[in-house]
Amino acid sequence: MNPSPSNISRRSFLTRSLGAGLVLGAPSILKAAGTSPSDTLKVAIIGFGKQGRVLFEAMSNIPGLHFQAVCDIWDYNRKGGMGKVRALQGHLPNGYVDAEEMLNKEKDLDAVIVATPDFWHSRHTVMCLEAGLNVYCEKMMSNTIDDARAMVLAAERTGKLCQIGHQRRSNPRYRYTLEQLLKRHQICGQIVNVNGQWNRAVSSSQDIAYKESLAIDPAVLKKYGFKDMHQFMNWRTYRDLSGGPISDLGAHQIDIFNWYLGTVPKRVYASGGNDFFTQREHFDNVMAIFDYDTPQGGCRAFYQVLTTTSAGGGYYESFMGTEGTINISERAAYTNIYRESGSKMSWEPLVEKGYLKKVAASAPAASGDSDAIASYESAAPEAFALPGELNKPPHQPHLENFFAAIRGEETLNCDARHAFESEAPIYWVNPSALDGAPVNLTPDHLSV
Amino acid sequence: METESPNNNDLGRTLAMLLARLWLALRSLQTGIEKFAGTRSSETAVTIDGAANTYGLTESASSKVYGISHYSGVPKALYDKFAAEPLIPGWFLGLYDLLLGPALLLLGLTLLLGIATRVSLFVMGLVYTSLTFGLILLKQDAGVAWLAAHVILIVMALSLANHNRFAILKKW
Repeated sequence: MNPSPSNISRRSFLTRSLGAGLVLGAPSILKAAGTSPSDTLKVAIIGFGKQGRVLFEAMSNIPGLHFQAVCDIWDYNRKGGMGKVRALQGHLPNGYVDAEEMLNKEKDLDAVIVATPDFWHSRHTVMCLEAGLNVYCEKMMSNTIDDARAMVLAAERTGKLCQIGHQRRSNPRYRYTLEQLLKRHQICGQIVNVNGQWNRAVSSSQDIAYKESLAIDPAVLKKYGFKDMHQFMNWRTYRDLSGGPISDLGAHQIDIFNWYLGTVPKRVYASGGNDFFTQREHFDNVMAIFDYDTPQGGCRAFYQVLTTTSAGGGYYESFMGTEGTINISERAAYTNIYRESGSKMSWEPLVEKGYLKKVAASAPAASGDSDAIASYESAAPEAFALPGELNKPPHQPHLENFFAAIRGEETLNCDARHAFESEAPIYWVNPSALDGAPVNLTPDHLSV
Repeated sequence: METESPNNNDLGRTLAMLLARLWLALRSLQTGIEKFAGTRSSETAVTIDGAANTYGLTESASSKVYGISHYSGVPKALYDKFAAEPLIPGWFLGLYDLLLGPALLLLGLTLLLGIATRVSLFVMGLVYTSLTFGLILLKQDAGVAWLAAHVILIVMALSLANHNRFAILKKW
């Protein structure tokens, strides 16, 4: 069942993806076999920091897993992670500082979860794939596009599964919205614009502190690519170690732009600056505009990531169409659906059948208000909501999909190639902002 | 000129006593029962176009349930505040929390059935007084006034104790 290695050329990539619009559809390949559904999967975790803990908490709800090893260069993370595993399964897993040593000693693993800093993703993933293991790697695939390419090639060369942690791809709310509301019932009509944003207050964007007594030996830090403990704790703010906010926060949402629109952008214009955190290497505020040619027509997508103001809070992706708008978010509270006033399409049949829930309309602004000029404003749209929610931690469905794929029961929802095709435009946001010029995205920019 | 006969006067006081007993018994019994109340949440698949959806979209429903496992004598929010009060020892708070619910149930039952009505009323008054002490510490004056209304009712019932009828055990 393992896919055969393939060296797909840029020409064939274009034929398969850009032209045919398959880039971002459901992967048809990549499910493994050979593991009995009743078998317990032996799992190792590389990187037990903040994101590693989030993934572990989500995995702790999934039956049939045995956490065999934990690897982290920081004692604090490693021992804390081992303690969490012991609390879950009753005994300590094996602990390692070095991933290579772990792979040399742990010979019967089925899967590895990679939740290390971005600049280690590719090395850890390729190393594990070449050791014959299936890998779930956090997004962004890497801090460089070439390292991300290496991950795709390694997955296809080894035939092992490589799921990238764009967890919205497995979220029932996102899948339902795409398949039922946008594609089947086309409630938005022609999508003419997309917006997305993730804004954080200054207080949530401060450097992460640490206790001196817990600091890692400088020689160990140097061995693993960190110049000091501050850089280890705050790797997201360094250009050589991460893609910065547009990659940390934007990657999730720009992935949704491409997935929902079913294609990738042809151009990106970006601007960024160090407006508040003036000493950081990465921009603290970034804005990007992506130009798309979709089967429905032209469309622009605007993405904004601010680490200097919460701007009122919330994070979501907004798909704006001629008939309606869907604001979708991982958080149900930020998800809203609006039917355009004057739309020819009635949504009542969808409400009656349960595809949508009608929401009590908020009180419209009084037309007689002194600040109202009727001719300037559209009539208030009707508000709707998704018919249900996700009752699990947001990462759990994506991890369930990964383990089900290992058992041969499902295909991956976001394998390395599809993740790369969606992530590739993001790698060109920072260069565009740095140069102050648009980047026309060609196959050289977007293909493996 | 017509005067009220002693018999008519007794009937009025008997009914007054009965009403006070019923109200105080109901107040105590149901408050005790509510201390065993909790919420059970359930998730069900959302039905779309007549069938359960296959995406995993769920809707949650919660219902009120009763059981020993849900018991909480002193509501959590109040418990935490009492725990921070230096005049309330931790061991006492734990014991009080354990006994309050059963005590209210027992007192409500004895009052309803008329078992040692005067003693039951007096102990009930002590319980409300103890609750008053806690609320004074937390400076919840409205709650203190509310409990005072209960104690006034108990005092009135005690003053009508000679007119207690429909009682299983009239002694005490």
